[in-house]
Amino acid sequence: MAADLLEFGYLLVVLALTGAIALRLGLSVIPLYVIGGVVVGPYVAGRLGLPYVAEGEVITLLAEVGIVLLLFFLGLEFSLDRLRAARSNISRAGAIDLLVNLPLGVVIGLALGWSVVEAFLLGGIVYISSSAIVTKTLIDLGWIADPESEPILGTLVFEDLAIAVYLAAVTSLVLGGEGGLAAIGRSLAIAFGFLGLLLIAVQYGTSLFTRVLDVENEEAFVLRALAVVVPIAGAALALGVSEAVAAFFVGMGFSTSGHRETIERRLTSVRDVFAAIFFFWIGLGTDPTLLVAAAVPLVIAVVLTTPAKVISGYLGGRVYDLSNHRSLRVGVGMVPRGEFSLVIAALAASGSTQVMREVIPSFAVGYVLVMSALGTVLMQRSDLVERLIFRRQSAGADS
Amino acid sequence: MTVYESDLPGVGKKHEVELDGGARLVIVTHNTGKREVFRRASADSDSEKLFELNDDLARQVGTLLEGAYFQPVQSTSIETLLGDNTVLEWVEVSDDSDVVGKTLGESELRQVTGASVIVIERDDEVITSPGGDAMIEAGDTLVVIGARDACRDFVTLVTGA
Repeated sequence: MAADLLEFGYLLVVLALTGAIALRLGLSVIPLYVIGGVVVGPYVAGRLGLPYVAEGEVITLLAEVGIVLLLFFLGLEFSLDRLRAARSNISRAGAIDLLVNLPLGVVIGLALGWSVVEAFLLGGIVYISSSAIVTKTLIDLGWIADPESEPILGTLVFEDLAIAVYLAAVTSLVLGGEGGLAAIGRSLAIAFGFLGLLLIAVQYGTSLFTRVLDVENEEAFVLRALAVVVPIAGAALALGVSEAVAAFFVGMGFSTSGHRETIERRLTSVRDVFAAIFFFWIGLGTDPTLLVAAAVPLVIAVVLTTPAKVISGYLGGRVYDLSNHRSLRVGVGMVPRGEFSLVIAALAASGSTQVMREVIPSFAVGYVLVMSALGTVLMQRSDLVERLIFRRQSAGADS
Repeated sequence: MTVYESDLPGVGKKHEVELDGGARLVIVTHNTGKREVFRRASADSDSEKLFELNDDLARQVGTLLEGAYFQPVQSTSIETLLGDNTVLEWVEVSDDSDVVGKTLGESELRQVTGASVIVIERDDEVITSPGGDAMIEAGDTLVVIGARDACRDFVTLVTGA
């Protein structure tokens, strides 16, 4: 017990330090938490004979809570009214984004000789942009006040909904997809059946949810909120259904309960702590030498998916009637990948094949590290990107 | 004036206010309560951040802008609201005012405007309830009571503004 507590303390020290470094350098915390996990994990510090944090059950559980809370908050922010208000633009820009990037990832996976499920996992990882990193960079750069922020944030909302559906499907494929088509069909039916029931409960149970949280005391409020979302997510996982998607739906249920802002105010720090542990835990499980094995898919993915996101984002900007200049910024702004690619990687790690257990998680870590850094740099230097692209275009037109 | 409102999912709300010459004032209200204020010189240019305020400060500055603390309509006078429409007003008599050297009765201020002088302050002297024969001198401060419109007319007549 003493050893466990010490180890957990060590983990918190590393998180605090990497967080401080991120703040100092003006970087996103997500990649740095991951790197912190890699460095003090069994594969680096462990091999060097230094004190290290093992990937134990306790940390895995806390990381799992991190996933649940990340998706719960996503659901909270997700109001159908909001989507309805900007329906046609968001869905058109979002559809372009989905139809360009997800199939591209699947094709890359298939070209590498992976199975359909493995390729589908790769598709998800390269498709989903990082809401956290993109939104923070938008604010840091002041783009938040400019027209390009609307298609960017709108497309992120679309992706959030798409990822809920995607996770629901992929979880049942990964966890139950070994026994042929019939088994896959059955696990998909269970998943969508459970989620359908949950959606109905959330839709009609809003008043019940509201009453559960009708309490002034801050501590009671936080505990009750967690006591609703965590057991439901756990029940989902026990049935082989995505716990993340269950948490997302519960969040959606609360979004209309009138408690949304209170939940956000009181639980944000709780979420941040567990999410940090999740990112750290992803790092713990990453063997840097396996990054070498993932180097080929990594290079291919970075080279192909970066321009693909820029192009799909550019087209999304055009849907919103933005100028070339602003549309290009939409494209550049969608490049960073982060938390959800890692959620997919965590899911892949529970799969049965060697590609799922080893290659995809390492690939995802490497990919998120590269794309979060590359994406933010591209956003900061978007003027350069623009000059490069539009000069070439006008030169092409001249000749 | 047109104000455009749009949602910023995960961030908050954005309001854009049209200014003169195609420029826009952009106010981003974060869910955390933070306000960021930008100015965009034209549709094509990038927004330039002017300042940011936390929730409390933003409300205070907003009240100031709204004019709740101070209305710069008549900078030479101070008015106090008594009832719904009754105001007390302090009016300084300048050297070139038409009423200098006249008695209150001769000035016919009450007959014309409907507002009455209840006090004349002259240096350290305070003349309360002055009669019609009280003389108005340059530099006097007249304390006037009446309906808001009456007091406004009064100020206009005395200061010539």
